[in-house]
Amino acid sequence: MDLLVYKLELIKIKLLEVKNLKKEFYKGDKSIIEVLSDINFSVNKGECFVTIGPNGSGKTTLLRIIGLLESPTLGQIFYNKKDLTKISRKEKVEYRRKFSFVRQKPVVRNTTVFNNIAYGPKVRGMKYDEYQKLVNEIIEFIGLKGMENKNARSLSGGEMQRVAIAMNFVINPEIYLLDEVSANLDSMNIKLLDDFIMRIKQDKEKTIIMSTHDPLEAIKYADRIAVLNNGQITQIGRPNEIFTAPKDEFTALFVGYENILYGIAELDKTTGLSQIKVNDLIITASSQQEGEVKVCIRPESIGIVKEPPKNTSYRNTFKGAIENIRELGNICHLIVICKSEKFLIAITELSRKNLKLEIDSEVFINFKATDVKIL
Amino acid sequence: MANEIIEGILEGLRLIFTFDPEVWGVIEVSFRVSLTSTLLAALIALPIGSFIGLREFKGKKEVTNLINTFMGFPPVVMGLVIYLLLSRSGPFGVLGLLYSTSAMIIAQFLLAVPIIMGTAKAAIESVDPTLKETVLSLGANERQLWWELIKHSKKSIIAGFLVAFGQAISEVGAVMIVGGNIRWETRTFTTSIVLQTRMGEFGMAIALGVILITIAFIVNYGLTRLQTRVD
Repeated sequence: MDLLVYKLELIKIKLLEVKNLKKEFYKGDKSIIEVLSDINFSVNKGECFVTIGPNGSGKTTLLRIIGLLESPTLGQIFYNKKDLTKISRKEKVEYRRKFSFVRQKPVVRNTTVFNNIAYGPKVRGMKYDEYQKLVNEIIEFIGLKGMENKNARSLSGGEMQRVAIAMNFVINPEIYLLDEVSANLDSMNIKLLDDFIMRIKQDKEKTIIMSTHDPLEAIKYADRIAVLNNGQITQIGRPNEIFTAPKDEFTALFVGYENILYGIAELDKTTGLSQIKVNDLIITASSQQEGEVKVCIRPESIGIVKEPPKNTSYRNTFKGAIENIRELGNICHLIVICKSEKFLIAITELSRKNLKLEIDSEVFINFKATDVKIL
Repeated sequence: MANEIIEGILEGLRLIFTFDPEVWGVIEVSFRVSLTSTLLAALIALPIGSFIGLREFKGKKEVTNLINTFMGFPPVVMGLVIYLLLSRSGPFGVLGLLYSTSAMIIAQFLLAVPIIMGTAKAAIESVDPTLKETVLSLGANERQLWWELIKHSKKSIIAGFLVAFGQAISEVGAVMIVGGNIRWETRTFTTSIVLQTRMGEFGMAIALGVILITIAFIVNYGLTRLQTRVD
């Protein structure tokens, strides 16, 4: 599977490339704060690229620069090989129309829900007859039918965010820029947002660049993740790379550790549990999901023994061998290879000594179906 | 003295309600001059002021300083400048505009332009920057953004217009100098009040004063209504 993904990545087209980007702000007292420095990455067409980092790490500024709402101090941004930092005011409008920008705090214009959503098509010169149907469809999709003529500013926070999402969805951009959009949303609105993002992700022509501070959200949507700390990218990689092999202490502390596997789920009618095929392994999970899924298991939820366990309530048991051991004070991380897959397991140093676990030891790992999270 | 004041007030009310032609002539001139000058000023100052507010450019700070300085330009000095320009020996003397309502309109126009320009600029600049960004990110071009911001800050813009009008109609120095306070022609509320007071004709002065205060009240009432109205 990894090889296949790798091959797929090779044929992907670089849509956006950010080179040596740097952004400085002047404070009131003329001192300079560096918000972003030496940012380099590229995003492929159809990809979902997620930047993750704490508040103040520069995520929003990065998205604003990409969305041409702010100019970088240094560096370049290439869109299909065109340098967006060297274009005229007029071209800027043209390129800005290829992006949409949904912000954390929704901003709506002081007019009706319908007019708000119709604004994007309207400024692009579409006539009422052309966008009327589209706008009404979207209003129905976001569940605000009957509220078309209400002033958008009189809506609740969640409803307003839905309008803001619809405003950006209706313009059908090439790249969606989503800035911490799920923050401040209740579960019902998160579900709706999720539907939107999944719909965009299915369309291989559309690219998403989103920022979040929620590791689970990053795992869920990301094809690749960039970890941002203090204005610098500390690591870029596929979710399982970031979460099982964080490059530095900050990444480890901020994103945490997580085993992430990619598989295809099928519902077992007799047990009511999902059977997820991950290459050569079949993992049982207490979920009813089907189709392509991401499987998450926390390293501390996995048990490890030397003898095959008998009469266990654990639904998942695999035989494997220890590939590597990382000692981290009184706990240690073991990398165990079970057929095609690698697992990161966290146990206490004491248990490791008691069990006499060494590199190349043959072991059995086990975890409960309820500890398997499906995203 | 007290007697004179009471008599003056009574005389004033009589003049207003008997539609005294001279009083109403003065009202007509005042309104024609001040409204024309403020509207013309708005026509020019609104687009320029809002454009300055919209764009970032080199020297914006200096331009802002200049506008702010002219917002408090002393009307008497403006009257003097226009007088010198329009007097027979001045550069525009041939136009023969001195002591006409046109000269008064020019003076009030020049006084109103910086006020409307400054308030329009400030109004556009005070719009929530995230709204600007949202409108831009939805694909608006500069003209569309401009229109959106104008719509959004219409209250402050109208307020600026009303302030300029209020200034114009109650201004005395400039219109006195360039208009000459000619009866039936260039006599306004303010110049008339000055003249009548000097002559001891308090009735006329009070009548005009009452009307002027009423107008000031209406303008201010409109302003307050505008600023406290919730959409």
